[in-house]
Amino acid sequence: MLETEELRKVYKGTAAVDSVNLFLEKGESVGLLGPNGAGKSTTISMIASLIAPSAGDVRLNGKSVLKHPNEIRKVLGIVPQEIALYPELTAFENLKFFGRIYGLKGEALSRRVQEVLKLLGLEDRQKDLVKTYSGGMKRRINIGAALLHQPEILIMDEPTVGIDPQSRSYILDTVRKLNEEKGMTVLYTSHYMEEVERLCDRVYIMDHGKVIASGTKDELKSILSGEEAILVEMDRDYPGLVKELEADEAILQTIEIDKGLKLIVPKGSRLLGKIFQAAERHGAQISNITVQVPTLEDVFLHLTGRKLRD
Amino acid sequence: MKSIYLHQWQRFRRAPMLVVSFFLLTVVFVFTLAGFQSDDKFTVLAFVKEGSSDQAAEEWSDRLNESEGMFFDLREEEEVREMMRDGRTNFALAVGDSDYRMVVAAEDANLITVESYTAQVFREEFRLKQAEEAGGENIREDIQSSLEDPVLTVTTETIQGAEGTFVYDNQIQTLFGMTLFFSIYTMIFSLMNVTEEKRTGTWDRLIVSPLKKSQMYIGHFLYCFTVGYAQIVVIFLLFKYGLGFDLGGNFPAILIVVGCYAFAIVALGTLLMGLVKSSQQLQAVIPIVATAMAMLGGAFWPIEIVTNNIVLFLSQGMPILYALDALKSIAIYGRGLADLAQPLSILILFGVVCMGVGVNLMERRG
Repeated sequence: MLETEELRKVYKGTAAVDSVNLFLEKGESVGLLGPNGAGKSTTISMIASLIAPSAGDVRLNGKSVLKHPNEIRKVLGIVPQEIALYPELTAFENLKFFGRIYGLKGEALSRRVQEVLKLLGLEDRQKDLVKTYSGGMKRRINIGAALLHQPEILIMDEPTVGIDPQSRSYILDTVRKLNEEKGMTVLYTSHYMEEVERLCDRVYIMDHGKVIASGTKDELKSILSGEEAILVEMDRDYPGLVKELEADEAILQTIEIDKGLKLIVPKGSRLLGKIFQAAERHGAQISNITVQVPTLEDVFLHLTGRKLRD
Repeated sequence: MKSIYLHQWQRFRRAPMLVVSFFLLTVVFVFTLAGFQSDDKFTVLAFVKEGSSDQAAEEWSDRLNESEGMFFDLREEEEVREMMRDGRTNFALAVGDSDYRMVVAAEDANLITVESYTAQVFREEFRLKQAEEAGGENIREDIQSSLEDPVLTVTTETIQGAEGTFVYDNQIQTLFGMTLFFSIYTMIFSLMNVTEEKRTGTWDRLIVSPLKKSQMYIGHFLYCFTVGYAQIVVIFLLFKYGLGFDLGGNFPAILIVVGCYAFAIVALGTLLMGLVKSSQQLQAVIPIVATAMAMLGGAFWPIEIVTNNIVLFLSQGMPILYALDALKSIAIYGRGLADLAQPLSILILFGVVCMGVGVNLMERRG
């Protein structure tokens, strides 16, 4: 349905997006995962025809979006990262305006606005000014503004940044509903691994402007199929212990976390005894030790050596 | 375009303070600086001299009131003397059948001027009467027609132009100057909605909609134009009908000039938006540009009194100069649209160039 071909964007000699190839099938929910500055927003801006790529193309049903931007604009709903609304207007007025620019009018427009408000759970607050809303409510209206014309493709750029867990959960449920019940194709960008894991069938992992891995969640996790993670929680940080474990050839990767360590080790390796002995040598008190199955976060760590939110 | 235009009005309805404040500022400034001078003639109290006829006094009063600077108010002698006793007037004129007398209660700076003018009128009238008595029955008509169609016209010119071509009307100067000046703020600040939309991301939302960019720009420009145009016209109407300002007899021509000016200012705002990087910068630039333009373009004082060649040269680049020139031509000199082709063409050309460059710069910046 939608694909990018060697998409590239260069700003002042630096490639913000470098030869990105991705595709979305109709009705799919695809995640674009990567840390801040990975090039996710630039990629979706090029897909949405907001900025022109330096090279490459975006194709919708085989047609170049660069040459025919209106083709994608008709079927695309975009939820920007920022709250792109008019705070001095009510939620109803905001949605009505965004519906009107897509050609909706009269009774059909009012009906559609009410449907969207119902979907977002904001029917009761529709006559309140957006500036009086909480962050989570603003985020919901921000999504609603992209849904009025019932788009076939919904692109969401980190739609849950800076909101409370309850609103976040509501938004994720709404996106899942749109994808599963309405058959909307979703491209969801985030640096929250758990959101992408919860919502998306397939995932593209981006870093430094490039897609470094892609596939279904299971496919990606299978990158680490020969490995497992040991999470060691301690009373404080012990730099000497870290150094010793890093030097151990049996441990593939040692990552410092808050008051603890994450060790990537070959699956089935019996290293727990070794870890306890080393901790004792450095006077470290281990409060908890867990052997984890790999997550997308671990995959990202494995691929880049960095955490998603570094 | 229509949805963008109507949307701006909806936003205006929710936040009208900006436009309303500049509207009120204009009214206050014009009213304070020129509103109290709707009858700027100096009033001289007069009464009929004892033993003289009322009719003769009235005739003298009519003759004296041909003055552009003085108004002779003929009242009862008792009333005038009462006012002099109360100190409400320092002197008065007692008008006789063929003479007059100044009745002075206290020294007054205007006394000499009034007396000199009165003496001149009486002298002229006596001369005319003498000429009539000498057989020239139609002497008054002959003199009048000779004045209207002189055999010989002497024109004195200075380097700046024909002497006597500049008529200064404080009311008109203040009304036009202040209204056009404050409307710059209204229009360009309203245009800041575009930079604000770009900052908040709603502009991007509009770009990915089926709307064309040209429709988005035109919707905004049209709104700013309408707000500025309406502000200027409402203020002109308010002072014309509310306070009796004389704007001449060709109001439709004034509407056309205002339209050209509003277009030029919206275009200037577009250019400024293209030149600056943020709405904060634009907020800082607007007062500088507006005030400089008003000072150089003759909004605060008539450009006709400026003699500095550099200032006069710079003023040529200010749209407000051409708008004021055109408006004063209509209101003071009674000229029609045909005489205003040059200033109006310059305003439109200025607008087209600024808008073209401004939109181009904004689009390049993205």
